[in-house]
Amino acid sequence: MIKSYKFRRHLANGLIYLLLAVLGIIWISPFVYLVLHSFRAEGLIAVPYLIPHEWTFQNYIDLFTGSGGTASINFPRWFLNTFVVACFSCVISTISVLAVSYTFSRLRFKARKKFMNVGMILGMFPGFMTMIAIYYLLKAMGLTQTLVALVICYSCGAGLGFQISKGFFDTIPRALDEAATIDGATKNQIFWKIILPMSKPIVVYTVLTSFIGPWTDFILAKIIMGDSLDNYTVAIGLQKMLANDFINTYYKQFLAGSVVVALPITILFLKMQKYYVEGVTAGGVKG
Amino acid sequence: MKMKRILAVLLAGMMTATAFAGCGGDTSSAASDNASDASSSTELQVKDSIVDYSYFGDEDNVTLKVWAPDKAVNLVKQQVEDFKKAYSEKTFNIDVVAQGESDAATQILNDASVAADVFSFPSDQLNKLVDADVIAKVAFVDTVKDENSADTVTAGTIKDTLYAYPETNDNGYYLVYDNSVVTADDVKTLEGTLEACKKAGKKFIMDCGDGFYACTFAFTAGAKIDGLEEDGETQKFVDYDEDEAVDTLMAFAKLIKDYKGTFQSLNVKQVASGFSSGTCAAGVDGSWDTEVNKTALGDKFGAAKLPTINVNGTDKQLVSMFGYKYIGVNGSSKYPATSQILALYLSGEKCQKERAEQLGWGPSNLKVQEDSVVTESAALQAIKEQSENACVQVNISSTFWSPMGNLGNKLVADAWDASDKDATKKLLQDTISNVRDEG
Amino acid sequence: MTYVEYKQLNPFQRFAHNFKKFIVSIPNALARFFKTIGRGIVNFFKAIGKGFKNYGVTFTKGDWATKLSYLIFGIGDIHKGKYYKGILYFLSEVFYILYMVFFGWTFLSKFDTLGTVKTREVIDPGQIIARKVYGDNSMLILLYSVLSIVITVIIFAIYISNIKDAYRHQIMRANGQKPTSLKTDAKEFLDGKYHVTLLSFPVLMIGIFNVLPLIFMILIAFTSYDKTHLPPGTLFTWVGFDNFSSLFDVVNNSKKATTFLELTKWTLLWAVIATFTNYILGMVVALMINKKGIKFKGLWRTLFVIAIAVPQFVSLLLMNQMLQSNGAINVLLSHLTGSNVEIQWLNSSVFMARATVVIVNLWVGIPYTILSMSGILMNIPEDLYESARIDGASPFKTFTKITLPYMIFVTTPQLITQFVGNINNFNVIYLLTGGGPSTENFYQAGYTDILVTWLFNLTIGSQDYGLAAAIGILVFIVCATLSLIIYNNSKSMKDEEAFS
Repeated sequence: MIKSYKFRRHLANGLIYLLLAVLGIIWISPFVYLVLHSFRAEGLIAVPYLIPHEWTFQNYIDLFTGSGGTASINFPRWFLNTFVVACFSCVISTISVLAVSYTFSRLRFKARKKFMNVGMILGMFPGFMTMIAIYYLLKAMGLTQTLVALVICYSCGAGLGFQISKGFFDTIPRALDEAATIDGATKNQIFWKIILPMSKPIVVYTVLTSFIGPWTDFILAKIIMGDSLDNYTVAIGLQKMLANDFINTYYKQFLAGSVVVALPITILFLKMQKYYVEGVTAGGVKG
Repeated sequence: MKMKRILAVLLAGMMTATAFAGCGGDTSSAASDNASDASSSTELQVKDSIVDYSYFGDEDNVTLKVWAPDKAVNLVKQQVEDFKKAYSEKTFNIDVVAQGESDAATQILNDASVAADVFSFPSDQLNKLVDADVIAKVAFVDTVKDENSADTVTAGTIKDTLYAYPETNDNGYYLVYDNSVVTADDVKTLEGTLEACKKAGKKFIMDCGDGFYACTFAFTAGAKIDGLEEDGETQKFVDYDEDEAVDTLMAFAKLIKDYKGTFQSLNVKQVASGFSSGTCAAGVDGSWDTEVNKTALGDKFGAAKLPTINVNGTDKQLVSMFGYKYIGVNGSSKYPATSQILALYLSGEKCQKERAEQLGWGPSNLKVQEDSVVTESAALQAIKEQSENACVQVNISSTFWSPMGNLGNKLVADAWDASDKDATKKLLQDTISNVRDEG
Repeated sequence: MTYVEYKQLNPFQRFAHNFKKFIVSIPNALARFFKTIGRGIVNFFKAIGKGFKNYGVTFTKGDWATKLSYLIFGIGDIHKGKYYKGILYFLSEVFYILYMVFFGWTFLSKFDTLGTVKTREVIDPGQIIARKVYGDNSMLILLYSVLSIVITVIIFAIYISNIKDAYRHQIMRANGQKPTSLKTDAKEFLDGKYHVTLLSFPVLMIGIFNVLPLIFMILIAFTSYDKTHLPPGTLFTWVGFDNFSSLFDVVNNSKKATTFLELTKWTLLWAVIATFTNYILGMVVALMINKKGIKFKGLWRTLFVIAIAVPQFVSLLLMNQMLQSNGAINVLLSHLTGSNVEIQWLNSSVFMARATVVIVNLWVGIPYTILSMSGILMNIPEDLYESARIDGASPFKTFTKITLPYMIFVTTPQLITQFVGNINNFNVIYLLTGGGPSTENFYQAGYTDILVTWLFNLTIGSQDYGLAAAIGILVFIVCATLSLIIYNNSKSMKDEEAFS
């Protein structure tokens, strides 16, 4: 009896291992394909086999030195641009999100519920409908075709994404605040000295999500940048490499560029996974 | 090889003698009449695309931006330098920026005030630009009419106004093939081409999802375009025999079914890619890819006009779309006079010849068309030959492209029943009515 | 039904019961929703009435400085010794007047027509070549008018608060109190009014870059802004509800109306399927990874997480290439089967394309579900499973009887967010299929297009801004109503204070 129970459990676990392995392969295979073909030497776009026949670093070298192509592709510059924009917008976004969610979680004031409801639905209007308006507002401020404009665009709406971190703050016992208030702490001090130090997971979660944004947007950024090639981000740049003028020359460099963009984000994600899960778990249940 | 060259020269001679037998044939000859009339009475002083300083007015210390396709940036930069030398009394600050021609209009419509002052674009975008009133009229109409082929001038004219400087006369597609697989005899018929490809286990690639290529199906079937209706928006078609048209479409669909696995509808850029990886033996591609196709095929490069297709026993020539490229002047340019003078210069004989030599672009300039650069290029000759059997891209409504793309998609889809006459008839009717925006 | 009766039902009956309850409660929830809105409107007008009354009363009771505050901002405060606030009030008035004189009014004055001056050509003296002179730019007129109206509303609020403040200080002086100092006020902003400090920056940003464009786009839906009315070259003007009626007008404009109807159906179907497949399958994978006795949990999770870390547009463009008829998937299948496989995944059969999109969406979405579920799954009380095991329940039964109900109960808000997210899931459709397979029956759309991608085609592709804005508004109304109702009725919203 005991034996058969054990056997069944082993069988079940074996099946699960098998299933996980198959799924794991399916999930990882596009990424593997991407990496393999970024080292491909032969062919232009498609090749009728899965493993490259000739291997080379040339795609990466060309990508960073700009040789083997034309002057309008400047990947190192775009990478730097994106990194700078991501850093600034990530700082501003994080501050906004934390400020808004702390306010809604901890402070009680008139119209709080109304603010929350409005905040929730504002983000639901299809984004690119408003792009043309955003473009001309930025233009009126003389900011179009600059990186500042991108920082503003990526961080301006951040405050609307307060749900998850508000959910997280909600799980921190209120008794802490009350004790601190009795000790004479102001709300400001409570925020900085008590709540924030306890919120590492949600801070990491917010930083991570807002840092990734600029690396992936290719529509708004293109509209704002127009023909200003020097101010492109990697997302528009990579998209450009697939345009009809470029794809034959740049497809393999596109693959290499994608790997270069994906690597840091992957490493960041894997390092910070624990916090991400903690943040999203606590926030998700309550949010 | 020698035989071929002689043939090419002969053909070129014939070509210049005959007007394009495209769909807008009548209008084009009318325009050339006009052109000669107007030029006799003109007072313009233009020599070698250089004008008198008085045309600048009081513009000096001019800052301009020029858009050129990525491949042409370096050449255009060189030409801009020559421009500066030609007008040495004025100071210029001219910036050449890479910008794909395919979305030039989109970029300008987004925000004309930050777009280039002088930009190049393909003829299908002209309607959009004129509708939005963002492109300036051509200032040197008579010179342009004198120097360029009548069709390019006609296609740049909307409601009797010439809006752009002709730049190329080659925006059409032809059959590119690997002559080690497909012989010059095979490429005469679509059946022969496909059979040769199939035997070698290689592909034939055509971008059937793009209306620019897919309209070949409709045109070959007889549904050729014929300018716009009087409202200036609705596309007009020539009268055609619907039964015959349906038969032709069914013949296409059947052929595609028969050669499933050989006939592939993929993005046009996959042609060069297929040549380079050895999977593709023939494809429908245009002058913009001639260089990359030549590099991929080397000595095996072959070019010919589109083949014929057998419909109920008769061989029908495939009819293609044929367009031009233009240089336009942005209506919101701060220096309109200088922009016009620069556009005139860049579209002039010298610059067109340089582009033909260095980029393989077919010129619209009549003199350069006679030049050996053009007459000895197999690709340009194939385009010219095909242009005899082409609808000229004049006055195309913006609703033309996506229904045609849909027609192509449907015919190549596995789910399409090639023997369903009623469905084919309905597809044709729907396509025409969608192009005419009657929905 | 009593609790005991409920407990005796089998899971399917329970589900049916809950489902029925949910459906039955929808009208109520809707009614409550509209009642709330109605009450809101009534309260709003009541408040305006009260405001007018106070406005008059304060004027008659005010001293000269308070009365002067009705014309010049901040005089009352300055007179009572509250200098910094008075000066701020005054500066806001100066700013407003300057803004209106030099900028705002030029646009606002044309708001009713959206401009009448047409583009023309002139030849300047000294020139030979003509130059284009652009007339009014309808789009800028509309945009800056909206900006001016918003600023006016804000200034009006400041104006009212200036009067109130002047009167308050007048009464304080009458009672012998002194106005508070700047230092005290600043301290208050770090404590009692801390929410003002924290919210002001985010609200300002959201106001300028979210709310303002939103109002602008809503107004666009009532204009003729399309490819033949395109600033700066040409003008557009107000057309009332024309854009909306063309979406519903089955008789005269059948193509747009059919497209709208069909795409709405597919969008909802897509959102439901995409949300639930991701949710349930993601949960199954998460359960497998987190099962006791399964080793290398980190490795398994990492395999899935990598799919998140690759930027979505890269992985989707890659998928698109791989799914072409000469792409990697067909190559792989050819290798496996030994014959030449050329399946047209994305552009032949409607069902095939839609199924492919749903499956690729699983690839994109499941890793997120795994990450957000893992923690919650481990929080399910162990004794629930223990008792199920003693009863001899099968894993499938444990899943449907314990895990699923628990999870749905706990994560309803997340589920709704994902549902709304899928309605607006632009990337997967746009990058993967581009809307195809195409069809002659739709206006500017294909069979896998959802409303947002259609909207994108209409704006970027064919410059039909008016129509697109109308669709945007309709999508917005559906999403907003749905989420407001469900959030405000959800458990977590109702017992918000549970943990505190």
